[in-house]
Amino acid sequence: MNRLEMLNALKADIDILARADEATVLGALPGWDSLAILLVVSHCEHVHDLEVRGPQIRACHTVADLLDLIKSLS
Amino acid sequence: MHSSLSNIRVAGIAVTTGSIVRDFIADGLAAGVERTALERTAQTIGLRERRVAAPGVTALDLCADASERLLAEMGLDATSIDAVIFVTQTPDHSQPNNASLLHGRLGLSKSAPAYDLSLGCSGWVYGLHQAALLCAHGGAARVLLCAGDTLSRLTNPGDRSTDPLFGDAGSATLVEKTGRAAPFHFVLGADGSGAQAIIVKQGGARQPGGPLTEKIDEDGNRRHDANLAMNGADVFSFTLREVPTSVQSVLRHAGFSPESLDALVLHQANRFMLSTLAKKIGVDEDRTPMGVVEKYGNQSSASIPCALVDGLGDRLTTGSLKIAGCGYGVGLSWGAFAGEFGPLAVAPILPFPR
Repeated sequence: MNRLEMLNALKADIDILARADEATVLGALPGWDSLAILLVVSHCEHVHDLEVRGPQIRACHTVADLLDLIKSLS
Repeated sequence: MHSSLSNIRVAGIAVTTGSIVRDFIADGLAAGVERTALERTAQTIGLRERRVAAPGVTALDLCADASERLLAEMGLDATSIDAVIFVTQTPDHSQPNNASLLHGRLGLSKSAPAYDLSLGCSGWVYGLHQAALLCAHGGAARVLLCAGDTLSRLTNPGDRSTDPLFGDAGSATLVEKTGRAAPFHFVLGADGSGAQAIIVKQGGARQPGGPLTEKIDEDGNRRHDANLAMNGADVFSFTLREVPTSVQSVLRHAGFSPESLDALVLHQANRFMLSTLAKKIGVDEDRTPMGVVEKYGNQSSASIPCALVDGLGDRLTTGSLKIAGCGYGVGLSWGAFAGEFGPLAVAPILPFPR
């Protein structure tokens, strides 16, 4: 899966990321909370077969950081 | 650890819930949370109502009520019970244990041992294994397993990551020795390196007391050291990692396939978790009871017996079902089981006091 496909999969799976791009600041999104982090954990496991921990996701500032994280664990 | 135990059966189950109904949306609005955020969480996670214990009511009271109703349903005298096991993280006292208090309250025989297991959401499976051991190898013919908690007492109303989740309940399960039952299979495990993921720091010998200073986490949730703290994302990761493999392992030992199961009964943490686990294990949602958490909340160790009664009670009273399941939670710990359940006695789910 290339980077654009990874982004599109995230946007399709997690409603609050539906209009996001790589520059989107996660903390500025309404609804970026513990539930959103849980959804990202689920997405990574389901789509990428990756185990991602909550603190790793919390450390991401932008959507680009999130994609970098997924790429680094793949 | 894998364990197979023969010549035992689950003879009956009863569940008693707390009597106070709490509504997720109404409580959230009262706490100042926006309705859209609440509805998003309710829809995604599957939270609607929960039942919590009335002031002064404990897990012991709920389990005692369930036990009395189960014995009445089965027409059994309490003196016919050979042992009582009580699974709880919210006992009445640090000493004596809840099992001894229940022993006295029900009037059990002096030859019946009574002991607690300190476990949460995985605890009913551990208790079932322990009761089955006593019947298969320990000289008992009839063991009363009680499992319940009042976790709603431990959460902070200002902690939205735990407070809306938990309901209070007590269960009673009667396990009997029998000469003609197929074996029950268990896979039990623990990962103590994750013990901090679900914790109440204060109240034990390490931190018996002290000032209760509330702190606010990065999501704005408030709690102090005597409150239940849970790292939801880490618990979710642990569950996805351990539960499917444990269930698949116990199915292999039992010679069951996911397709052959009548039901997959998992700890009722939330609908999102249950749906994700069912998909990974390969059992469709129609065979995976999920209704408990939206009616009663996460009932800790009482949730699997409650799901058995709520989702399968009618079928269990009349026939035999091939069931597998798993409890998972504090410890971190997990316990998967597989076996034939029923026909068995089922007492209706009722609140206490009524």
